[in-house]
Amino acid sequence: MKIVSKFTMWYLCISLIAMLIGGVFAYYQVRNGINNAETERLKNYNDIIAEQIRTGNAPDKYMRGRPVEIKILGKDAPITTAEVHQYTYYNPDIKHRECWLSVKSFYKINDETYSISSYNYVTKANEILMGLLSSFICIVALSLLFVIISGSVISKLILAPFYHTVKTIQTFSIKSKQKIQLPKTGTKELNELNVFLKKMTDKAVDEYAALKEFSENASHELQTPLAIIRSKMELLVESDITEEQAALIADMQNAIEKLSKINRSLTLLTKLENEEYDATKDIKFCRSAKDSLSAFSDLMEVKGICLHRQIDSNVTVMLNPALADILLNNLLSNAIRHNLPENGQIDVLLTKDKFCIKNTGNPPNIPTEDLFRRFKKVNQSGESIGIGLAIVKQICDLNKFKIRYTFEEGWHIIEINFRPISSSSKLLQNDERTLHPEIQL
Amino acid sequence: MKVLLIEDNKELAASVHDYLAREGYICEVSYTVNDAQEKLHLFQYDCILLDIMLPDGNGLALLEFVRSENIQSGILIISAKNALDDRINGLESGADDYLTKPFHLSELHARLRAIFRRKKLDGTNIVTFNEFILNTDTLEASVNGTVLDITRKEFDLLLYFLVNKNRVLSRQSIAAHLWGDYTDDLSNFDFVYQHVKNLRKKISAAEGTDYIDTVYGLGYKFNSAKE
Repeated sequence: MKIVSKFTMWYLCISLIAMLIGGVFAYYQVRNGINNAETERLKNYNDIIAEQIRTGNAPDKYMRGRPVEIKILGKDAPITTAEVHQYTYYNPDIKHRECWLSVKSFYKINDETYSISSYNYVTKANEILMGLLSSFICIVALSLLFVIISGSVISKLILAPFYHTVKTIQTFSIKSKQKIQLPKTGTKELNELNVFLKKMTDKAVDEYAALKEFSENASHELQTPLAIIRSKMELLVESDITEEQAALIADMQNAIEKLSKINRSLTLLTKLENEEYDATKDIKFCRSAKDSLSAFSDLMEVKGICLHRQIDSNVTVMLNPALADILLNNLLSNAIRHNLPENGQIDVLLTKDKFCIKNTGNPPNIPTEDLFRRFKKVNQSGESIGIGLAIVKQICDLNKFKIRYTFEEGWHIIEINFRPISSSSKLLQNDERTLHPEIQL
Repeated sequence: MKVLLIEDNKELAASVHDYLAREGYICEVSYTVNDAQEKLHLFQYDCILLDIMLPDGNGLALLEFVRSENIQSGILIISAKNALDDRINGLESGADDYLTKPFHLSELHARLRAIFRRKKLDGTNIVTFNEFILNTDTLEASVNGTVLDITRKEFDLLLYFLVNKNRVLSRQSIAAHLWGDYTDDLSNFDFVYQHVKNLRKKISAAEGTDYIDTVYGLGYKFNSAKE
């Protein structure tokens, strides 16, 4: 719901309640006013008649045919204040309910107590109510109209800077290193929001830059000492060493190898997370797949693995070429490594929409989806470092591919769907549209 | 071969220098861009080993300098920055190859020789040793005139051995040379063993000398002194 509609709703609710209370109040005020005025008039009328009686004049001189009831109550009847009575009754002649007000006053005249009673028809309260109601409805309708018209006009004026801010935030990209520029507005809340957003995005940009710098530095600062250790070790084995020393050095070399691979993989993952490898154009994925398969063919031969492949031609995928190689190499080396020791098989299937690699192997002892996490391995003491699939997953996520890992009847199946999002992404965009329709402004 | 090494890390520079000096190369070391420019003005080098991050500037800027001065040396970039941009920028600015740290010295040497061959600085694409003749263009290897029936990987392996004669080649360095860095796999050593075994078998079958020795648990060595 738009903010202006919300304001309008609230305003209308409050004004309706105020109108209702005001209406009831006005109704009673008007009714009492009329009744009191009539009562006063009738009282005064009674007084005049009483005065006429007292001075000995015939009362009908003033009465002039007005309906007055004069009674002599006797000597000892008490004198009380005037009694006011109101009757409402249905008049069948005019087919209307009528209201009848009578005032009975008591006077002491010449030792006799008189009661003088006069009456008149007054405007009925219901008629006042109808009049009040129709005028209130008119007022409410008018104010509704004005509020809606002025609301949409004024909100556009007042909220223009807000929409500007929303638009700026939407186009903000942390990668572009461009800090956002928000104008100063005349509204305190908007200024606070803008100041906050500016602070937040500036901080995000700085942090991102720092993170990026760290990942680059980490790579650089660790790779150089590793390079030194490795090179010195190579020179060391050239020297005259005993078999015992050689064994020690071999262990060290293994450890360094592992260290440098972990470092390299982690920095690669960081770079992937920083989205440094944007896909800029379609690549021939079929060609990459064929290249990778031929690069691994001798490994498969050595391990006695039988390969079935079905690779369609002209399969293009939007993917960074370096990532395509990393993706394929990791999947293939996994399929080879975790295969059966004898009579292993690998099936590779590539179509326009998906890449599927299957290999025979022992059943995994942890849920297959968990294997996408870093350093998660079926065999914790194994020779791999357990980061290959995490990299594969990251590459897929980055390029919005859908990856699935299942184990069925002795086959490990990894399936990558290149175009799962063509329909759902549109849906997502539509969702965003409907969520923020004002953004189109 | 005359090599200029531009690397700000003294320990690493010393290692590379030692390794290349033992191959009989003349290797000079510059720690800064300025010093390197001076040396490039004064002397001629067959190959330049260039680090990207240097204390007084970017190695890529030095590439520009080499190009503007029309220096004909082969250039191998050695960098810790594995950023893709750097690799592409480097190769586009005229570098011949790109090697990321940490590298194996034997790999560095093999790449250096490959650049040397590609640039035809010694005028040939043939690598020979005793009865071995390897043609790096046609990927043909022959022993005593008999063409060996070897795979691409086995050819690469044999060439790697010949380039790094009398060196202990660790299994890691061989694996990295044959399969690259990005496989998250340390069990490739079994395959190294298999490939070396196959290669030796094929050489013996062609009545070539088996120069390849196993060095304890470390790796292998092409022992040229063997009879």
